[in-house]
Amino acid sequence: MSLLSIKNLKARVEEKDILKGFNLEVNPGEVHAIMGPNGSGKSTLASVLAGNENYEVTDGEVTFDGKDLLDMDPEVRAREGLFLAFQYPVEIPGVSNVNFMKSAVAEVRKHRGLEPLEAKDFLKFMKEKQQLVELSGNLAGRSVNEGFSGGEKKRNEIFQMAMLEPKLAILDETDSGLDIDALRIVANGVNKLKSKDNAFVVITHYQRLLDYIVPDFVHVLYNGRIVRSGTKELALELEEKGYDWIKDEVAAEA
Amino acid sequence: MSELTTTSVLAELVKGAEKPNSFLNIRTEAETFLAENGIPSKKHEDWKYTNAKRLFDNGLEFTSATDCTFNSVDGVEIFWSEAEKLTGSTAIHTKEAHAALNTSVFEKVLVIRVKKGTQVSDELVLNQALELTGNYFAATRLLIELEDNASLKCQLYFTGSNASEKSLHNHVTEIFVGQNSQLEFNIVQEIAEGNLVNTTEVFCQRDANFTTNTFQLSGKLLRNNLNIRLQGENAETHLNGFYMLKGSELFDNHTLVDHLVPHCESNEVYRGILGGKSTGVFNGKVFVHPDAQKTNGYQQNNNILLTDDATMNSKPELEIYADDVRCSHGSTTGQLDEDAVFYLRARGLDEFGATALLLTAFAGEVLNSVSSEELRNILEQKIQAKLKEMRA
Repeated sequence: MSLLSIKNLKARVEEKDILKGFNLEVNPGEVHAIMGPNGSGKSTLASVLAGNENYEVTDGEVTFDGKDLLDMDPEVRAREGLFLAFQYPVEIPGVSNVNFMKSAVAEVRKHRGLEPLEAKDFLKFMKEKQQLVELSGNLAGRSVNEGFSGGEKKRNEIFQMAMLEPKLAILDETDSGLDIDALRIVANGVNKLKSKDNAFVVITHYQRLLDYIVPDFVHVLYNGRIVRSGTKELALELEEKGYDWIKDEVAAEA
Repeated sequence: MSELTTTSVLAELVKGAEKPNSFLNIRTEAETFLAENGIPSKKHEDWKYTNAKRLFDNGLEFTSATDCTFNSVDGVEIFWSEAEKLTGSTAIHTKEAHAALNTSVFEKVLVIRVKKGTQVSDELVLNQALELTGNYFAATRLLIELEDNASLKCQLYFTGSNASEKSLHNHVTEIFVGQNSQLEFNIVQEIAEGNLVNTTEVFCQRDANFTTNTFQLSGKLLRNNLNIRLQGENAETHLNGFYMLKGSELFDNHTLVDHLVPHCESNEVYRGILGGKSTGVFNGKVFVHPDAQKTNGYQQNNNILLTDDATMNSKPELEIYADDVRCSHGSTTGQLDEDAVFYLRARGLDEFGATALLLTAFAGEVLNSVSSEELRNILEQKIQAKLKEMRA
């Protein structure tokens, strides 16, 4: 049984249809890359899967680990093991990373029938995960994303992912705007967290990230649908020929 | 009801108090002021949104109230007095009607004095636990004097779990902060359905530091008049407030900082969360007098409305008559940041947990200016409890 199964998903925002029949199957242990030009529906897909209520699902079904995903509140999706690394992480003044993560980890553990971690164990756990993305020691006391650089915000997303140990992580343009060092740190973090039991959906505009996080499958999203699927070679071809090549081919097929 | 009735209610109140045979000078001044001005109605600019006069129109009955409880703290002189000479020396009773009414009827003043050079280490905790049922009216009065080079931390609680919506508690605190002295004055107001008009009049001398944090947690109508006069150079004041309203509660904070001399600093942050059909009022004025060069004045009021029916009336005011000053003020009123709520939910917090975390953080800027960790924890729990009530 696949971990994530999306069938004929249609979604709209502010009366505008964005996803127009999207299909995807993701199995444990796989990395899928979803590429596409601006406006093709990549971020809408991420938002719909995470449960953002600004997006309206008009048709289709999504099952996650055998359960109806669309029926769940956003927090239940997170507790069930779905994680979205936000394209634009939100700054939350006054809420420290340590308090935030303490609450989040406690909720996720409770859902999985686990006792909350002792304070000492929690801090140790947090330190380990911080090192994974090379975030400095004073992260815990700082407010969530407040005053963080773009790179720090993205590393903080990967850090949170490491803390919550999801079954499926969706990275929404986590690479956009990152310099090569930050990109390497983010990719290293992801690679260390990869296992045969979890899966990643990497949404990106650029092929560059895929040099560091090697996908098993590459899908091209255009105009709300997947128009091409292949292996990592497809990403290289895209990089070389640009998205206009896909647009022209799709137009020719129509 | 007519002006005449209010006047007669006032007269009855004053008579009901049986004319205490003390403080005769200031009582006479206060009565003259009251007779000329009466209790202000909503037509009065300072009472535009807050109808306290209604309580007088419905009739109030005087009751004796001299039972403020307090702990014993080394270095603090604390006693009831019928002849404390500083009482009334701020002259607030000839400027504002409720303070005048208090002056004409209060029985005794609780005097708190810290002698020159005394640094008090323990916190003084005062509890004005009045259970004003029915249409009772009570007037209480405090006087806090820090002589030079003294320091004190003090908490003042207004409590009353049975206070009725027809009752009125009128309280006045006069505060004198001597040269190079520091006072932290934390006020917690939690009086169920009761009404409170609370006046705090503060005089700060040279190099003095006065910090006050006001927390408004429950009451039908809570009105604070806080007036701070920076009279000596290099005096500094921090005045903060946090209020949470539900149902039809009305909380009103009127503050005035008078910069009278050069090189003083004032820092003001008031924040509030409004639910239900509640009404909040913030009117903060920073007045920089012509001599007060090199003033630093900062003022901020931020509000979060949780419902469509809640109303916030925010009016920050700067009045500057000196030309070399640094002053700023700002006011924001908005809703909870939906993106932040979603972000937290996407990490596993439920909607209430996410909201509570954000709102507690919003209160943080005021909470963190309370130095006592114990009090901060108490307040945090009270805030959480009120958030739960507001959800219901």
